[in-house]
Amino acid sequence: MISLPPLAYADLQPLLPELFLLAMAGIILLLDTALSPANRYVSYLLTLATLAGCTWLTLPHLGAAPATALYGMFIEDPLAAVSKLVLYIAVAATLTYARDYLKERNLYRGEFFVLALFALLGMMVMISAYHFLMLYLGLELMSLSLYALVALQRDSAAASEAAMKYFVLGAIASGMLLYGMSMIYGVTGTLYLGQMRSVLQMGAFPSLPLVFGLVFLVAGMAFKLGVVPFHMWVPDVYEGAPTAVTLFLGSAPKLAALVFVLRVLVWGLEPLFIDWQQMLIVLAILSMAIGNITAIAQTNLKRMLAYSTIAHMGFMLLGVLAADRVGYGAALFYAIAYLIMSLAAFGMILLLSRAGFESDRLEDFKGLNARSPWLAFLMLLTMFSMAGIPPTVGFYAKLAVLEAVVNQGYVWIAVAAVMFSLIGAFYYLRVVKLMYFDAPEQSSEISAGADVRLVLSVNGLALLLLGILPAPLMNLCLYALKASL
Amino acid sequence: MVTLSSYLILGGLLFALSVLGIFLNRRNVIILLMAIELMLLAVNLNFLAFAHYLGDLAGQVFVFFILTVAAAESAIGLAILVVLFRNKRTVDVEELDQLRG
Amino acid sequence: MNFQAALFYFFAAILLGAGLRVIIARNPVHAALYLVLAFFSAASLWMLLEAEFLAIVLVLVYVGAVMVLFLFVVMMLDIDPDRLRQNVWRYLPVALPVALLIAVEMVLILGARYFAAAPAPAPLPAGYSNTKALGEVLYTQYVYAFEVAAVILLAAIVAAIALTMRRRKDSKYIDPARQVRVHKEDRLRVLKMKVSRYGEEMHDHDAPHGGADAASSSGER
Repeated sequence: MISLPPLAYADLQPLLPELFLLAMAGIILLLDTALSPANRYVSYLLTLATLAGCTWLTLPHLGAAPATALYGMFIEDPLAAVSKLVLYIAVAATLTYARDYLKERNLYRGEFFVLALFALLGMMVMISAYHFLMLYLGLELMSLSLYALVALQRDSAAASEAAMKYFVLGAIASGMLLYGMSMIYGVTGTLYLGQMRSVLQMGAFPSLPLVFGLVFLVAGMAFKLGVVPFHMWVPDVYEGAPTAVTLFLGSAPKLAALVFVLRVLVWGLEPLFIDWQQMLIVLAILSMAIGNITAIAQTNLKRMLAYSTIAHMGFMLLGVLAADRVGYGAALFYAIAYLIMSLAAFGMILLLSRAGFESDRLEDFKGLNARSPWLAFLMLLTMFSMAGIPPTVGFYAKLAVLEAVVNQGYVWIAVAAVMFSLIGAFYYLRVVKLMYFDAPEQSSEISAGADVRLVLSVNGLALLLLGILPAPLMNLCLYALKASL
Repeated sequence: MVTLSSYLILGGLLFALSVLGIFLNRRNVIILLMAIELMLLAVNLNFLAFAHYLGDLAGQVFVFFILTVAAAESAIGLAILVVLFRNKRTVDVEELDQLRG
Repeated sequence: MNFQAALFYFFAAILLGAGLRVIIARNPVHAALYLVLAFFSAASLWMLLEAEFLAIVLVLVYVGAVMVLFLFVVMMLDIDPDRLRQNVWRYLPVALPVALLIAVEMVLILGARYFAAAPAPAPLPAGYSNTKALGEVLYTQYVYAFEVAAVILLAAIVAAIALTMRRRKDSKYIDPARQVRVHKEDRLRVLKMKVSRYGEEMHDHDAPHGGADAASSSGER
């Protein structure tokens, strides 16, 4: 039979962040049962400490050459390290924004933190996967935790309805993804991404079964990314879920999903790029069109941001369909920039909401400037960045992606993308108009802790700073792709 | 002799059947969940057929994990269903109209 | 047609028939039972594919645990099947063409020369144990996947408990620690009351009340 070398401690070294996260999640799960509700902050602080520990353990991987571990199931490369570091920061910011919201809605429980950590672990597994099985398992660990998080507000009919829709559509997506994986496995005879790529490069395979599998694979990934025509769940889930959970699933999983797409399409199936490029063009154009146009009609800010997410995901796919390293780097930059914007926007909704008041309608933002000029300015930066107005990071992200597409000769796609983002600018600027030129409807004090205000300020200013000085982050993204591929 | 195609066509038909079930059972979430189980069964059949004809164990291992995950998935799905039923007293998808979608 | 082929077509027919009954069943209990039948025939097909261990796992774990869980939930939720099936066939005009299209395309692609010409696998050596072979790779080559699957199950446990467990307000349980800590002052209060005569009080209360009632009802007329 096959004889494999036994695992030594050194083989586990690349997995240290994952192992540490899992151990801490277990500790928090056990410890939380012994905590009284007044001491719940211990779980919160331990979760933040876990993220800090993971950061410390992941940093050394940043400069390491790509290497596989655990019999080729796991890959550690700069792309994985960069993505993981961004995810830690995103989850930490999410938890900080969400704390008061959770307390007011009786959701400030150990399960929330443990499920959030499990979801993060799932994303890390996905990001470092070098085998179809690990991609699938990581995706499921993330998705299952997210379904449960959406439903966690048990007395809310809207939340459980959103969770059910999310679950059913997510499960269908997994089924399609698996069907696609099985076809690719059947043709190439391997599940390892690296072997798949080299087999496809050499062999003359019949293209029909491969493309057939690829269609299912791309459809499944499109479901998870939430791009048109597989976007039906996004607005409902964003609106129905508690805002703290919306923030969670609207930020970190988007980056993880991008890396998932890159691992499948580039690390595994890059020789088929002519086929998947066509599919992505359709998805990207439809998403930008429908996302931006439908967003105009929304009165609920969470719903509007959901359609805006669909449009942004379409934009991000432009970078992937450029099918070169610069394009992938631009897509990664776009995902990180979108993450920061999404954190700031939902963080603002969370900061303005109180017990029994969600602050998720557009009217709730009327006259924000009169109530708090600083918060209104931060929201202005966020909206400008989402619309892609210079000098914010959103502008530079869009520019980088468009440049990559034009370099590949797809000028018409770039023109269409610019048109749709001009339409999109309308509804972002409407929020700005409401904040600065309308009379306030709310007059109550904004009650938010100093730490939340500080983090949100840093978050908002990062949009501006990265817009003025995009080079370091852009170089990091390009380095991550070039050193990994 | 049964060929690989026969198994794949059977899997394909089962997959199409589950898609039909998902369309038809818009009114009943429980049967919707069962249609998803059928879909996974079709995928499993595909993997096992390929594993058999390739003479490779990897496909079987994949099915092993799909079964594990599907069990966890149905546990969570049914838990969400119970929460939903407590809130709305129905499993009818069309009455899930609080969110416009 | 040899014996294997006959078995394949027999089980395939049952599988597709049971699958069809699952999706058109009126009653969720019937659907669950047909799904069990589908799993049994699928397990038989897996036997033909020489995946004995997984075939048995499908019956034991899937039929034994997951389907029982389905049945539990169906019985626990009080669902009126007739109301749910009022216009089932409304989606048929849309759904049937889509499903047929998918089926036809799949048959065309999967039945194509490439897969039909796949060589028959070499017979397995004597004494080969499918369970042993799976076990050998599961804990070595796939140990990482195995551990992640364990985490998925843990997450499912945490999620299911967090979502559905509730402390019932009407269940009566005893907390001995609280019983022991009780003091006399917490439970017993000695009241000093004025002695009053019963009849007088009743009369004082009744008179104005009855009067008001009568006034209002006459006013309405």
